[in-house]
Amino acid sequence: MPTIERRIRWSGLLIGAGLVVQLLSLLKIHPLAFVTFLLVGCPLVGAGVLLYLYSLVAHGHGALSPRP
Amino acid sequence: MNRVVLIETAFVVVTIVLAVLVAVRAELTRARGGKVFAFLALFILPVLAVWGGFSEQMQRSTSTQFCLSCHVMTDFGRSLYVNDPSYVPARHFQNNFVPRDHACFTCHTDYTMFGDYRAKWRGVHHVLVEYFGTVPKPVDIKLYSPYNNRECLHCHLGARRYEEASEHHKDPAMLAQAASNQLSCMSSNCHDIVHDVDTLKDASFWSPSK
Repeated sequence: MPTIERRIRWSGLLIGAGLVVQLLSLLKIHPLAFVTFLLVGCPLVGAGVLLYLYSLVAHGHGALSPRP
Repeated sequence: MNRVVLIETAFVVVTIVLAVLVAVRAELTRARGGKVFAFLALFILPVLAVWGGFSEQMQRSTSTQFCLSCHVMTDFGRSLYVNDPSYVPARHFQNNFVPRDHACFTCHTDYTMFGDYRAKWRGVHHVLVEYFGTVPKPVDIKLYSPYNNRECLHCHLGARRYEEASEHHKDPAMLAQAASNQLSCMSSNCHDIVHDVDTLKDASFWSPSK
């Protein structure tokens, strides 16, 4: 599997996991739900989105490099 | 579950499905259509979902139910039902001077540009103390700084009942001093009975169902 696809796979999984945490935090009105969303859900989704963007940039940079 | 939460939940579920689909079938992104699909599923939709979730969580964190979830706040919640109008929070709560479902936040936010966020930041700190620190006794819980009249005057300033109250004209400079926070509304012999949780064992309580 090419590197970009491996990164996209990880990105999708991180985003999915973060959003599942977000979904669970919506079940109850409780400070712990708020903190879980903020300290677990958001960083997971953020990491996934950043990894996806990085994979695009890294792949684009590789494509632009002169071929030997 | 209200309608907004239902829509938010549906949106998050769809985003999860699409993100996992891209993860499982990463080879889809080789085609142009797949690239656009991945951009939607891994960037646009997750950002919107988190923004919606953040907005919902911020809204929830202003609710009375949220504040009283922590055990240490129980007595402060009880103080809202004291059957004595000299208790300032009880009087406000029972007479709907503050919205009952957002009672704590209405008085304990700073009415400044970033007051809401400052209050939330303090709240996150309180949660960390609740679960990982040493929780103080309710009677030992104090404000970080003396209560600012600005929070009272956010509603009361300009109100006829406030401006014309004879007690507020005992001293001609009283209203001006209150407005500039030189004289606290909670000064001795004024509105000095607030939550006073140490007095609750002797108090009687109002029951809204009566």
